[in-house]
Amino acid sequence: MNKDALSWGAIFGQMIIQFAPVLILLVITFALSLAFKRRLGLYGKLFDSTVGMIGLALVLFWVFTAFFAGVFDMVATHDPLDQSALMKKALPGTPYSKLIGTPDPNAGAYYLLGGDNLGRDVFSRVIAGSIKVILIAPFATVFAFMVGITLGLPAGYYGGRFDTVLSFLSNLVLAFPVILLFYLLVTPEIVQTGIPVYMAAVLFIFPLVFLVILWNSRYHTQPMKRNVYLAITLVIGIWVYLGIAWDADPLGLIRFPPNVLVVFVSVVFVNSPTVFRIVRGLVLDIKTRDYVAAAQTRGEGPWYIMLWEILPNARGPLLVDFCLRIGYTTILLGTLGFFGLGLESESPDWGKMIIDGRRLLSANILHIAIPPAIALLTLVLGLNFLADGLREESLRD
Amino acid sequence: MSQTPDHEGPILEIDSLSISFFTRLREIPAVMDFSVEVQPGEAVGLVGESGCGKSTVALGVMQDLGVNGRIVGGSIKFKGRDLGKMSAEELRDIRGNEIAMIYQEPMASLNPAMKIGKQLMEVPMIHEKVSEKEAYQRALEVVRDVKLPDPERILKSFPHQLSGGQQQRIVIAMALMANPSLLILDEPTTALDVTVEAAVVELVKELGRKYGTSMLFISHNLGLVLETCDRICVMYSGEAVETGSIKDVFDKMQHPYTQALFRSIPLPGADKNARPLVAIPGNFPLPHERPPGCNFGPRCDYFQDGRCNQDIAIPMEPITGDDRHFTRCLRYKEIDWHAPIKAAKQTAATEKGDVILKMDNLKKYYEVAANALFGASGATKVVKANETLTFEARESETLAIVGESGCGKSTFAKVLMGLETATDGQILLDNKNIEHIPIQSRDTKTVADIQMVFQNPFDTLNPSMTVGRQIMRALEIFGHGKSDDDRHKEMMRLLDLVKLPREFADRMPRQLSGGQKQRVGIARAFAGGARIVVADEPVSALDVSVQAAVTDLLMEIQREKKTTLLFISHDLSIVRYLSDRVMVMYLGHVVELGTTEQVFSPPYHPYTEALLSAVPIADTHVEKKHIVLEGDVPSAMNPPPGCPFQTRCRWKSQVPGNLCETEVPPVRMLAEGHQVKCHLADDILARMEPVIKIAAE
Repeated sequence: MNKDALSWGAIFGQMIIQFAPVLILLVITFALSLAFKRRLGLYGKLFDSTVGMIGLALVLFWVFTAFFAGVFDMVATHDPLDQSALMKKALPGTPYSKLIGTPDPNAGAYYLLGGDNLGRDVFSRVIAGSIKVILIAPFATVFAFMVGITLGLPAGYYGGRFDTVLSFLSNLVLAFPVILLFYLLVTPEIVQTGIPVYMAAVLFIFPLVFLVILWNSRYHTQPMKRNVYLAITLVIGIWVYLGIAWDADPLGLIRFPPNVLVVFVSVVFVNSPTVFRIVRGLVLDIKTRDYVAAAQTRGEGPWYIMLWEILPNARGPLLVDFCLRIGYTTILLGTLGFFGLGLESESPDWGKMIIDGRRLLSANILHIAIPPAIALLTLVLGLNFLADGLREESLRD
Repeated sequence: MSQTPDHEGPILEIDSLSISFFTRLREIPAVMDFSVEVQPGEAVGLVGESGCGKSTVALGVMQDLGVNGRIVGGSIKFKGRDLGKMSAEELRDIRGNEIAMIYQEPMASLNPAMKIGKQLMEVPMIHEKVSEKEAYQRALEVVRDVKLPDPERILKSFPHQLSGGQQQRIVIAMALMANPSLLILDEPTTALDVTVEAAVVELVKELGRKYGTSMLFISHNLGLVLETCDRICVMYSGEAVETGSIKDVFDKMQHPYTQALFRSIPLPGADKNARPLVAIPGNFPLPHERPPGCNFGPRCDYFQDGRCNQDIAIPMEPITGDDRHFTRCLRYKEIDWHAPIKAAKQTAATEKGDVILKMDNLKKYYEVAANALFGASGATKVVKANETLTFEARESETLAIVGESGCGKSTFAKVLMGLETATDGQILLDNKNIEHIPIQSRDTKTVADIQMVFQNPFDTLNPSMTVGRQIMRALEIFGHGKSDDDRHKEMMRLLDLVKLPREFADRMPRQLSGGQKQRVGIARAFAGGARIVVADEPVSALDVSVQAAVTDLLMEIQREKKTTLLFISHDLSIVRYLSDRVMVMYLGHVVELGTTEQVFSPPYHPYTEALLSAVPIADTHVEKKHIVLEGDVPSAMNPPPGCPFQTRCRWKSQVPGNLCETEVPPVRMLAEGHQVKCHLADDILARMEPVIKIAAE
């Protein structure tokens, strides 16, 4: 205890130094994008809208943070799991010290945003939390889109009974209270019956089906090319599928922690019906276009028309929804953590951190709950702004 | 809120008006140095191709240019008062009260959630603060004025319960509610069928006379302007190029663009072999890529280097001796306006080959659930989309299929293509039955043989695939070539065939103009060496100057490849120009079939007669008999008993008894290859007079 606590100014200065690589990369990205924005299509047009730029900056900030923290172990000052009895509920800027054991020599000298109720560094935990969010939210959303698209395309294209049944099922899922569903899914008894794994097995087969149909419909006139694409897709796809869904990777390389799988499955399950409905609606509109009729009159198969004629032209609204949905998923992950349903209790999870800090808010200890809340807020806000910007720009000229 | 007191002089005076739109990149001048005046009781037509700024002028008059548009020069005076200097409140008084506007799409101008009566009554209640009762009386009166049956019922209905023609009449009624002094009509009939269009135009003319309203009539259709207006103003690329009275401009045009425009539309007398249309070369310039000097310069036959492209503004010059006739051409005095058209390439008529397609008693019925929710159990209705279609088409022949919306021509195309299967009868392609084979089960050869060109150029190409890719895909599907290289070469050849530069292969459809897209659509249809091409109104959505070029292209490919062309259209002028035989359809029935000569001269089927009379012709020498059909095309869900046309036929009284109402007329042969489905006796048919007469010059 030979050092004084940092002032707020010094804390911010230190944080900026910690974030330096992130900020530098952000500035470079923006400078390059602004310089070449006319050649970058829709992404370039984003730089014409202030809202879009703010959104992109916020999102990229967290993506880069997760990247530097996850890959190079930069940005964070401490091990997010390292506890120090001396630092329990320590105020922001308190110098780092340890009662038991030797302090980590590589760790920073201060707890920039203070310590939580177990004496862990709040700043580092927020940074580490971003890795989880940036990894899970977009991928879960991608899976939800794959499921929604693969089912929504034929539902909209064929209509009829198939559509009625699927729409009914999706309404059923949407009508079910989300939180209750999660409680059910993570209950040990349910986990033991293997329901989450079976659900994963069903949900994760969709991307594979999607890609197989995609290649087949496109290249069925050139069997050689198709077989090559299909072989690559199937080998990699089945390998990944076995690893992720069944935890049965023959090479033992791909594993998915069971509790992450449960979160993943729940998020995909809850999001895909909404995507299904959006895709179905778009298909209903686009299938009346002449180029669809032109494809039909030259004898194209239904899946080619759905995947190559209709889907690319639905990309605008889907892209916007994709951004928004990552935001919802991020909130959902936070909510799950908040209810203690998310990842393991130790791991730094924004939602979990907020609930831990919440109990101390009444004791006027704000610094534990506020930083993860701000992190969550800025990321979701960024995604919403980005979606707004994309929508605005894609509507123009 | 009374109207502006009587004013001497022109109702509307636009003086060297310039309007620009401001985008992120640049200022785009949409209208430049535009002047026109509308005298009381006068109808002025504003004509030009899409993008020439005619609608912008209308919006400028309404002072409704949106956030990006701004008037950058000149003035618009309404009854002597400058509209640009008025406050928002004053403008609100004038709009809808003294100036009313009628738009193209009637459904979009009516509030779908409000009953017709309420919408009409609003106008006098807001502008004149009259009582509800009086407003109702006024509404009833105008609905009667626009000749809608059963006005009380109409006032109680919602817009979607009326047909397109009825909706447009309501919009006109609404415009007339305030008894405006100026009516702006922006393509008011483009969304309507020809016979309905004719009736609406008739109505507008009549009301204009009755109320003494001045009109600004915006249209791309010269024929329509001839029928409705006293004066005309031709616009090109943001400028007025020629204004004057209808007679002067139509008969003594003084601007090369006006002349080129008239030469590119099929007037009676044009013939695809002996007197082909003259397309205007080149493309319409984009607003920010206008050439220096004369905007029309690069496409003009009379272009003189160093003079027409000097970077100076060309003024409107008055033509001496004519009434307010102006032209924006430096060389108008030097050009010999009466020189005969430069001998365009004449071609010999093609020999017709063997019969390759034969329809025999083809029927297509749809079963429609009467109750959408409980479809399976509820009673079903049968829609007879096609009724006993019988005809044959020969190699290198053009067969036109004419009819209004709902006549079954699209259903017929679907059945032929295999998107639907026939209910009864047969389709023989090279003496093979194909009517029952859906497209998925047809062999590649059959599919490639029958291809289609679509109507809407903006919809015919997939917006997210390059032009080349789309043609290549068709080649792949039709099994052309062994490798991608082969197909790439063939694709380039196809681009040459449709006269598009080869660089277009890498372009996205949005970078192409409407006519260019349509050419790509044609290239795609011919990718598999199609022998029968169904062209579904391939040029109706294009501008007149482009229409001629695309039509010529189709004819040229047909000559080269001996294709059979099934040309679906409602535009009889173009049908007369390019088809060998014509088939007229009404509510699923073929009412008349014969060579072009036979169909376009008496004896006619009564429906053909009405159609011929309805099509506006842009030639002052043409005298048309005036036949206006009452009402709308009946719904195919609920067709009238007996003859399908009996509800609107003006000859019905000539048939003894109630034969027309009880029996579907038999097919009668009038001459070799000329058949008609009508009960009229031979002597009455023989007495029919020609609808179109060309007055001696």
